[in-house]
Amino acid sequence: MVSTVKKSAVVLLACFVIIICSSNKKHPYQNKKTGRVTISFINTVKSVPLVLDSVEYSNPFGEAYHVTKLKYYISNIKLNATQHSFAEPGSYHLLDAGEPSSLSFAIDAAANTYNSISFIAGVDSIKNVSGAQSGALDPANGMFWTWNSGYVMFKLEGNSPASTIINHRIEYHIGGFSGPNNVLQLITLSLPAALHVQEGKNCDIFITADIDKLWQGVSDLKITTTPATMAPGVLSKKIADNYNRMFTIKEMHNN
Amino acid sequence: MVFVCSAFLFIAASKKETDPYKPTYLTLEIPKGWPKPATNIFANNPLTEQGFQLGKKLFYDGRLSKDGNFPCASCHQQFAAFATYDHDFSHGFNDKFTTRNAPPLFNLAWMPLLHWDGGINHIEVQPLAPLTAVNEMAENIDSVLKKLRKDTAYPKLFKAAFGTPLINSQRMLKALAQFTGSIISANSKYDKVLRGEATFTPAEQRGYTFFKAKCTGCHAEPLFTDNSFRNNGLDINPYLNDYGRMRITNNKSDSLKFKVPSLRNVALSFPYMHDGRFYSIGQAIDHYSKGINTNQPTLDSLLKKRITISNAEKNELTYFLITLTDTTLTKNPRFSLHQ
Repeated sequence: MVSTVKKSAVVLLACFVIIICSSNKKHPYQNKKTGRVTISFINTVKSVPLVLDSVEYSNPFGEAYHVTKLKYYISNIKLNATQHSFAEPGSYHLLDAGEPSSLSFAIDAAANTYNSISFIAGVDSIKNVSGAQSGALDPANGMFWTWNSGYVMFKLEGNSPASTIINHRIEYHIGGFSGPNNVLQLITLSLPAALHVQEGKNCDIFITADIDKLWQGVSDLKITTTPATMAPGVLSKKIADNYNRMFTIKEMHNN
Repeated sequence: MVFVCSAFLFIAASKKETDPYKPTYLTLEIPKGWPKPATNIFANNPLTEQGFQLGKKLFYDGRLSKDGNFPCASCHQQFAAFATYDHDFSHGFNDKFTTRNAPPLFNLAWMPLLHWDGGINHIEVQPLAPLTAVNEMAENIDSVLKKLRKDTAYPKLFKAAFGTPLINSQRMLKALAQFTGSIISANSKYDKVLRGEATFTPAEQRGYTFFKAKCTGCHAEPLFTDNSFRNNGLDINPYLNDYGRMRITNNKSDSLKFKVPSLRNVALSFPYMHDGRFYSIGQAIDHYSKGINTNQPTLDSLLKKRITISNAEKNELTYFLITLTDTTLTKNPRFSLHQ
């Protein structure tokens, strides 16, 4: 009798353990099959990969320049499908041309067939007004204005003989998340073919970011007249409207 | 039997976690009769005793500045209601001056935008401004964090406040916000009179009547500010060329506008105005009666005709303003370094 009670207790205990463990592990996404999508950004000047510091480039107005720093935020990445588009949770990425590892990252997306990718070039307005953040959004990354709260969405620094400011510097710190000079750009890029995300498989998307687009497109911006902006405003907005066109899909692989 | 087994399991599970994270949660007390803050500054930063204490230690720690001499508290002194006592501009690293008068710190939970120009949109990111300004604490975030990580006490305090000993900028800033956001001033003589615990002298009462008639258009009770940005007709200081809010909004209509400061503890927070140009309450009142530059296009509409005030009214108004001094704030050991 005693041993029966003991046995049934053990069985019940085991049931409890199973129930507790399984309920702990239950998560809305875990039932869904996911595949890995690696997204890589390739910074270029026209079609040539950007090299910091040592290579001289020429903008559409024939003005020569060097780039010493290029950093920008990509956030709210979404893979779009006719049904059940996938939004990467906590999607904030700081890309730094000086740190190649930052230019490529993987996301685990729900298995589905996707036809386009969209993202915000910049950090969405909500995260600009929500206090101290961490990770890619840590103010220690040097992409946060301390005197006028908000993220520097895009930062290009370098020099050019055409620049009339100190040390022939060029310095574009682009930001501002509200009002008429909101620089946030929602980018949507059609994929050249259907992206099949499948469980246990890896897909690759390569996106070109051509900084030659900075100077032209919506507004003609010459280094001679506009060598720098370091605050939200009209010039920041013009540059952002130009770089809206800098992103294109280079290639894509279903593996 | 089942109950016993599951109870045993529960105990085993809780014993497994060594040193569990059990902070003491606190609630920000809203003084009676006050409006609720428009947004909850602690919505994503649960207020705890451990977080508050860590924030206090950071607030008083000189290591947040480059040379160790300039903690937050060097410009925000408790005995001056957390303003800089008797200074138009505060002193920063390498014998530099700030370019604006340090505001007092209290009732920040009701302040949607910080700084004289409203450039700071969240209490958590405010410390980044003085911390990195070359004329203030002159530091950078990484360097401060390195100093804190080397300290023997901080990892334990961060663990108590946030669950793990990780020290990063987000936690440092959230802890500071827990301290500064908890500072409330609501126990001045004025507050006691409103609660029926004290009475105004006849002169103070007349001053209060004048105040309600002429001043609450901007300095609205009970916070004694409406947190708006207004041009009160000060001539521009040619050394500073400070156009206030326009620097933030790029909007010409914001030229020369500054945040309406709270008048709570005004007797302690002298000198007055964004550049501390007036050293006495009397000088500040004189500005509104005869100093306002009425030629400025963005001058506030309430001040176009200046404010008429007799000498007797000026004295009475001053007596009333002194009733806004809250010694419970200035002497509260909870906000002091050694408590």
